[in-house]
Amino acid sequence: MSVEAREARQPWILLSPALTAVGLLLFVPLLFIVVYSFWLRTASGADQVGFYLDNWNEALTDAFYRDILLNTLKIAVITTIVCALMGYPSAYFIARSKGNKPLLLLLLMLPFWISYIIRTMSWINILGVSGALNTLLLWLGIIDEPIQMLYNETTVILGLVHYLLPFMVLNVFVSLDGIDTTLEDAANSLGATRWQAFTQVTLPLSLPGLAAGSLLCFVLGAGTYITPLVLGGPTDAMFANLVFEAIITQLNWPLGSALSLMLLVVLGLLVMIYNRYLGMAQLMKGLG
Amino acid sequence: MTRKLDNTTRYERLRERYMNGDLDRRNFLGLLGAAGLAYGVQTPFARYANAQGVKQVRFDGWGGVVSEALRENAFDPFTKETGIEVVDGTFGGGDEYISRVKAAQPGEYNVAHLSGVFDYARYNDLGLTTELNEDNIPNLQYVIPKLTEAFRKITNGTLSCVPYDYGTTGIAYNRKHISDEEMKEKGAKILIDEKYKGKIAGWSDWRTRIWFASLQTGQDPNNAEDMDAVWDAIRKHRDLALKYWTSGAELMSLLAEEEIYVTEGWSGRIYALQEQGHDIGYMDPPNGYGWQECMFVLKGSPMEACEELLNFMLAPETSIAVAEGQNYPPALDPQKVDLGDKIPTLPAFDPSGTLDGLTFADPKYWNGHEQEWSKEFGRVQKGY
Amino acid sequence: MMAPLGWQLIRGWAILVYLFMFLPVAVVVLLSFNASQFGSFPMTGFSFRWFVELWNNDAILRAFQTSMILGALTAVISTTLGVLASLALVRYRVPGANAVTTMLIAPILVPEVVLAVALLLFLNFLGINKSFTLLLFGHVIFTLPFVILVVQARLVSIRRDVEEAAMSLGASPMQTFFQITLPLMMPAVLAGGLFAFTISFDDITGTLFWKPGGVETVPTQIFAMLRNSISPEINALGTVMIFLTVGLPLLGAAIARKISNKGGT
Repeated sequence: MSVEAREARQPWILLSPALTAVGLLLFVPLLFIVVYSFWLRTASGADQVGFYLDNWNEALTDAFYRDILLNTLKIAVITTIVCALMGYPSAYFIARSKGNKPLLLLLLMLPFWISYIIRTMSWINILGVSGALNTLLLWLGIIDEPIQMLYNETTVILGLVHYLLPFMVLNVFVSLDGIDTTLEDAANSLGATRWQAFTQVTLPLSLPGLAAGSLLCFVLGAGTYITPLVLGGPTDAMFANLVFEAIITQLNWPLGSALSLMLLVVLGLLVMIYNRYLGMAQLMKGLG
Repeated sequence: MTRKLDNTTRYERLRERYMNGDLDRRNFLGLLGAAGLAYGVQTPFARYANAQGVKQVRFDGWGGVVSEALRENAFDPFTKETGIEVVDGTFGGGDEYISRVKAAQPGEYNVAHLSGVFDYARYNDLGLTTELNEDNIPNLQYVIPKLTEAFRKITNGTLSCVPYDYGTTGIAYNRKHISDEEMKEKGAKILIDEKYKGKIAGWSDWRTRIWFASLQTGQDPNNAEDMDAVWDAIRKHRDLALKYWTSGAELMSLLAEEEIYVTEGWSGRIYALQEQGHDIGYMDPPNGYGWQECMFVLKGSPMEACEELLNFMLAPETSIAVAEGQNYPPALDPQKVDLGDKIPTLPAFDPSGTLDGLTFADPKYWNGHEQEWSKEFGRVQKGY
Repeated sequence: MMAPLGWQLIRGWAILVYLFMFLPVAVVVLLSFNASQFGSFPMTGFSFRWFVELWNNDAILRAFQTSMILGALTAVISTTLGVLASLALVRYRVPGANAVTTMLIAPILVPEVVLAVALLLFLNFLGINKSFTLLLFGHVIFTLPFVILVVQARLVSIRRDVEEAAMSLGASPMQTFFQITLPLMMPAVLAGGLFAFTISFDDITGTLFWKPGGVETVPTQIFAMLRNSISPEINALGTVMIFLTVGLPLLGAAIARKISNKGGT
């Protein structure tokens, strides 16, 4: 076997366990979902096998689904931006601090030890009418009547940011931590200000982490359903809620399948675009 | 006669061929791997293949106090007597459970604690019912006949479950802000009263929403004529409501923390709040929503073992322990069984055992419209 | 050295972010000592009763054990697969690398409930029963993208010439990996493992569908309890976990510092 052939085979050997796992446990099962999306739910709840385009027709033409999809993407974008604004400086602080970095990171993951539902519900104890914040404000005499802060889009975003922020910080940190600090010093010694050194050396080098963190926040934010259920008002719903309702509440697997494939395609396209313009390959070219 | 190859003989043959030099090493190992894989895939099956000796029964329920009471009073004595183990699992809701059953293999799930006659009918529609041999469940004689009748009507006189408990979904209100008189006067309409805008909640369940909207528009909840009015009432409630709750935990904390003043509520949960000293009132409006729960046996289950288990579960001491844990009265007839001190104080409890005061959902009416209404509610809920 | 103002702003910001992250944690810890069941403020009294009840609640303790084991196994497997795949994608010229990356990230693009149902349908088709192994692989699948994203981001910033230098000095590719590359990407590997563990520990939807009989994790146990009411035992469990993960290391570090101080003087 030639050296080139071996060289070409090596990455596939490394990739094969992960690809096999994802292929076998995700893509093959997804074929069942594709098949299901062409079936029909009958009135009795059983599925009608066949080839029907009704679900797709409904999912693609009904403005209801489009509006909620757009709203979901909007919430995911806002969440991602807030996470980046809150997360980048924090990650920078951890990476450059002289303190105990592993401990600082571990502290950030602390909320995860409390189950997601409990964590989300505890915002009710903070922002509710008899919650900690209202009680404090009343006690300080700033307000006379408890303020109704809960159950709207803002609290949904708040809950999402709290959930996703650690992913952003950790990704950015890992990137920042790998940057040689002498590069910044070198830039300084060449007469650049701290700010210039940061924007021209550190920031570009940490972009892969920021991009990876943003991708995670966006995708996870767009796929969530529990947060709007707990912290949203009656009309706050995201696309994953529709999928969940179709599959679980209405036992309409065919429609649920079509809806979830729609979400998968939209998110998949966005990831492809990300990979194309911001992804690893692109960034490596820039570095090389 | 052809001899069936089991995996051991298959391996022996392969080894022989390898020793004889028929196979090179690479092929031998490859085939060995394939045999191993086949063995690994088949073995879990073996458990079902020799199902004659039933080793375990799977039970699914709500967990928590209910499951503790069942474990102590029914499962452990049952295992002691029959040697059959009860593996117990939990679910977060009836809809989630039916999805799981739909995606499972027959026989994987056996007994489940289901809510509502309409749910029983849904399982019947999916062809998942069984036929219980009632002679094996002597404790069935203590059960309130009206509860059993509801199930028999759906499965042509036979039973695939035993009734277990019942309760109501009535209106819960904070008595600091809403007086008993006001409640009595307004009834279900209080949930669409502008005066309490932002202080109202409701269950995000389409049946409950339609039921109460029927009451608010003065219609028969089991046969609403004017659906447009019903949807309008649901929309009005949605706009006035702060929150749709999805679980008993949320219902209780919304009321206890005074986030809201009025909502529908499950009788047992409201009783638990009252027990803790919260000043919450509970009222079943005329034609309020009554429901019953049952212990259902799914198709493909070991019938005799399940029947015996049901008998243990229906035994008065078990039923009473579960009822006291979850605050819903047991399905046992108070005329035939002494139910102790606490149960007669539970909301929805009927000492006569006739349950004439309760209106149950008509499964034909509700399941007939399920597909259309559950979807429509999904839209209305989101502001459409 | 650092411009004091800029650094102080960053530090102040980071402290605020940490406060935000800790707010719900603080509430949960506080309420685990609350005398009443509901979390109204001001609190009505101080009590250890929820810790006693937690200690007596076998179901939750068993679920906790299952969650820990499941999380640890998921972290090990997922990190291994993720590191191998990331190495291939960053260090080699792989035709169609974009598509491969997207494929590997796909598990978090599909709503989890769909992933859960799809996998079950497939297993039914094959006639395989639910088992702990299946649950484990399910968790590996949807934690993999987290590991791959974070490890790739780190690998990109490790400069190739360091590895090439080692190789030119006679190190084999294996030696180079274990002695140069792996130590350099260790933070990412640990971060990936931490992600995998916490996500597995926290997962509800997939676990609900995949768990075999008799297996409950902490989230599924909580989910079932929601129907009646959440008891503050769950808060007590959170408090215990936080103490174990943060309290003990902090205490250890403090003791170590004290000892070394003594040694120094």
